[in-house]
Amino acid sequence: MPNVKTTGKKSSNTLVRDLVNVGIFAALYFVLAFASSSIGYIPALIIFSTGSISLVTSIPLFLFFLKIDRPIFCCLLFSSFFGCVMLMMGQSLLMLPIFVTVGVLTGFCLKILHKSFWGLFSANVSMSLLSSSMMLPLWLSTEEYLAYASGMSDEGYVAKMAELANSYWPLVAIFAFGILGAVVGSFIARRVMKKHFERIGLA
Amino acid sequence: MKLDPRTKLFLVAAANTMIFSVPYAYSMPMVAAVLVLLLLEKKWKFMSVFFPVYAIAALCFDYLKQLDSGMIGTLLAATVLLICRMMPVGVVFYYIMATTKANEFMAGMSKMHVPNKVTIPLTVMIRFFPTVFDESRAISTAMKMRGIRLFSLHTLKNPLTILEYRLIPLLVSITKIGDELSVAASTRALAPDTRRTCIVPIGFHVQDAVVFVYCIAVIAFVVVSHI
Repeated sequence: MPNVKTTGKKSSNTLVRDLVNVGIFAALYFVLAFASSSIGYIPALIIFSTGSISLVTSIPLFLFFLKIDRPIFCCLLFSSFFGCVMLMMGQSLLMLPIFVTVGVLTGFCLKILHKSFWGLFSANVSMSLLSSSMMLPLWLSTEEYLAYASGMSDEGYVAKMAELANSYWPLVAIFAFGILGAVVGSFIARRVMKKHFERIGLA
Repeated sequence: MKLDPRTKLFLVAAANTMIFSVPYAYSMPMVAAVLVLLLLEKKWKFMSVFFPVYAIAALCFDYLKQLDSGMIGTLLAATVLLICRMMPVGVVFYYIMATTKANEFMAGMSKMHVPNKVTIPLTVMIRFFPTVFDESRAISTAMKMRGIRLFSLHTLKNPLTILEYRLIPLLVSITKIGDELSVAASTRALAPDTRRTCIVPIGFHVQDAVVFVYCIAVIAFVVVSHI
């Protein structure tokens, strides 16, 4: 409708819709991320767990990005929820600023590149940093993180983590697999969006 | 027994800190507190499943922690540790979700002067966890009727199909529920800049004071014994 004149101000109804969407997709993301990260309980697969999280959560994130009208605000809210959840789960205070930064970065990707495939793609890749940075304290404050992990897991697992913390390469691998998972997930999500969601008018 | 939503939030924060941040033995008083609260809410069915599982896992905890017997041992230990560490947190959240209505939660947050822009997604998120599980269970049953299971030869051959058969129906149904919810929210004057009234009286009572004092006492005991 090109002839309709608007005030240029977004309606508060769309804000409520955005807020509801943030809540819904945050719940879904939390469940899916928790389920897909469970492969990390096998010590040899710790490094790959971030890849599996970003692969599985790509489709819901694509749908989330398509449904929101205020990208920066919604992504910031979305990621700060996880920052708060991580804080409540006893993680280091460092997580909150990292998560807030990731949220703002994702929002800017969507704001600048809009809701084109590359906009969604870059936002998804940037959001994958959220799950990858959960392991960051293992390298930044090793002893504190190992003490935290020893309460959560057995001796063998903690020993494996201490072994990982000796070198920076596993950290690079964690981020690389996270980004790789998001890249592959984005292409799957594009196919799925075309095949299912566009047909029924949800995307 | 009815607790104020703010007391419940404090209980979640205290219980999570105790369960995750300090040695395992110190988390017991918080788990006991939540169990008593659940008993007072008469959640017998839930208790009859949770309590035996947790008791067995807690008994095996120290033994399995020192065990070093290859991958199967690690997996077994990880499962037991998950039950010991994550299950109590799950139980605290179950207590909150089962006993707090959305309007009570919103009224509590509003009394704490938390802006509606934060309260609305948080309320939706808390309300949505059970919905996600319910929908997922329903989809799983429907897929079983078509012979599609999570662990079968077909899904092992092509694991991505599970995304298509389980995740997409879940997303479709949840998106539709979300759209309906936002329309329902608008009709109930749920806007970011309006202050809503609540028919349920919210306030601190004796039971809230008891829970507060108990949590603070447990935290103080842990802090003092660590020093």
